[in-house]
Amino acid sequence: MIKNVKEVKDKDFNIERSAEEIRNLSFKNHVCIGCGICESTCPVSAIELEEIGAISRNKINTTFSGHDKLPQNIHKGFDKAKLTIDEHKCVLCGMCSGLCPADALELTINGVPIANIDSYPHFISFAEIDDDECIYCQKCQTACPRDAITVERKLPNRADLVSGEIEVNEDDCIYCGICKEMCPAEAIEVDSVTGEESIVIDKDKCVYCLVCKKSCPTDAIKAVCRICSYGDYDINPEDAVVTGSAIIDQELCVKCGWCEGVCPTDAAKHKKPFKGSLDVDQNKCQTCGACADVCPCDALTIPSLKGPVKVDNVIKRDEYCIRCGACEKTCPNDAITVKITNVDYTPTNSKTWIEALEALKN
Amino acid sequence: MELKVNQDNCLGCGVCVISCPVNAEISPENAGGNGSKTEEVVTMIENGFVKIFCADKCKKCGTCQMFCPCDAIWVE
Amino acid sequence: MPKHIASGLKYLTAVKLKEQGQNQQKIADELDIDRSTVSHYLNGRNLSWNSIDVAKTITDLEPKDFLKMTQAIIQNPEQIRKIVNICKKNEYETIVEDSCIGCGLCVDLCFMKCIKLDSLKAQITSRHCCGCQTCENECPTNSIKILEI
Repeated sequence: MIKNVKEVKDKDFNIERSAEEIRNLSFKNHVCIGCGICESTCPVSAIELEEIGAISRNKINTTFSGHDKLPQNIHKGFDKAKLTIDEHKCVLCGMCSGLCPADALELTINGVPIANIDSYPHFISFAEIDDDECIYCQKCQTACPRDAITVERKLPNRADLVSGEIEVNEDDCIYCGICKEMCPAEAIEVDSVTGEESIVIDKDKCVYCLVCKKSCPTDAIKAVCRICSYGDYDINPEDAVVTGSAIIDQELCVKCGWCEGVCPTDAAKHKKPFKGSLDVDQNKCQTCGACADVCPCDALTIPSLKGPVKVDNVIKRDEYCIRCGACEKTCPNDAITVKITNVDYTPTNSKTWIEALEALKN
Repeated sequence: MELKVNQDNCLGCGVCVISCPVNAEISPENAGGNGSKTEEVVTMIENGFVKIFCADKCKKCGTCQMFCPCDAIWVE
Repeated sequence: MPKHIASGLKYLTAVKLKEQGQNQQKIADELDIDRSTVSHYLNGRNLSWNSIDVAKTITDLEPKDFLKMTQAIIQNPEQIRKIVNICKKNEYETIVEDSCIGCGLCVDLCFMKCIKLDSLKAQITSRHCCGCQTCENECPTNSIKILEI
């Protein structure tokens, strides 16, 4: 008899059926955004979404204020996976995988993800950073709500960009150490001990600011400007180039567009799979912050407080909302309405799959 | 998942009662800290401890568990 | 005993193939037995009429039970498929509705290997269907209909 085999590993799991072909459905808890699209899509009602508000807001070892909890107060019971799938009901059709906007659920057939199989539809969405345009400012890395971006950069050698150097005329120098104290770059070492007087300038640290020259009481420091003395400006433009790499972890990325929003150049580009709207009824909202805590794209935030005043509304950043609906499911006051008006997906011949995709609209 | 309390841990501070967004909707006067006028709320402080009144009204948003200083209330 | 019933089933299959105009060598190849055995079968030798009767009763069972019994008696799946396919009493019309989600459960369950997935929809090769209705019963979306012709 054909049976599904479930393998649970911490909060992740795999369900596998192997007969004519090997079908494997995997769930990654850290990727799941708790939108519940899988739950409402599953044709055999095998999926159950947990209360993601409570799950994403439990602090196991610390209190809300950040203090460590007393050992007897630590509950581990509520630290659970965001969703469960009944392996006895699941038929491994892959609809949850195809419709998961975060790819937390992934069906593979004989090892090939259905996203790579043409007959299966998949969302048309992307997020990418163009290396030619990127100036490695790291703004996207800071803004990314999923910590999915890593920008590494190699800075130019500072000494190559300094436009001059200083020299000390030791005949005039009295080794008073004033220049050393003034130097903002800690480039000067002065030994004032009688009989052992010396002054050393570290040319790698010196940025040619000339504070030393201006503060020297005996005018012992000479400035040698490369621009003036050598005629042409001798800094090689290639020495000033910042190199690096900007990588988006596509597993964590939800295509919210923060990277594109904060990018000062045209390097970051994205496309969301859904179009629609997000509305918060500020009269119903009690500003509990559950929506802000579950939102995978930081599209909803609670303003930070100064003093004991009640927050009167949540801040909505509509342009970064991916219309996943996790907030709507979590809101205890039914104050949020998320609508999907357009779903962008690759063509398929299956009427059922098209129906399921179209049913996302409301 | 359901709302649970452990009165042994409870200090009776009432933070959970005030922070609960469902309580705030049902009984806005809760925010003042003098308790609600109706028993139709999710939680209230009774005799110095938190007590669940209408468990079915809880929407499991986790706000109470987040604010409770001593893990006396949580969703599990 | 199972061995005798298996012989009975092979006898019935050999007779059917003979009726279809196949020669003894061809029949022997189909059933993976040697030609002399086929000759014996067709001439009614070395075979108890009792076991043929039992075999006949088995082929007269509901298609699902016929398949199950044959699976119990004969080990080689390829041979089971041939015997069931040749000795089945009916042909079937197979319908897959558009509500099919392409889960492939029927593909895995079909012992006769007559179902394939094409563009997220099951495709059933009707002439190989034995009518056991396993696919129809197990389909999570009730998209399959197997009708006797």
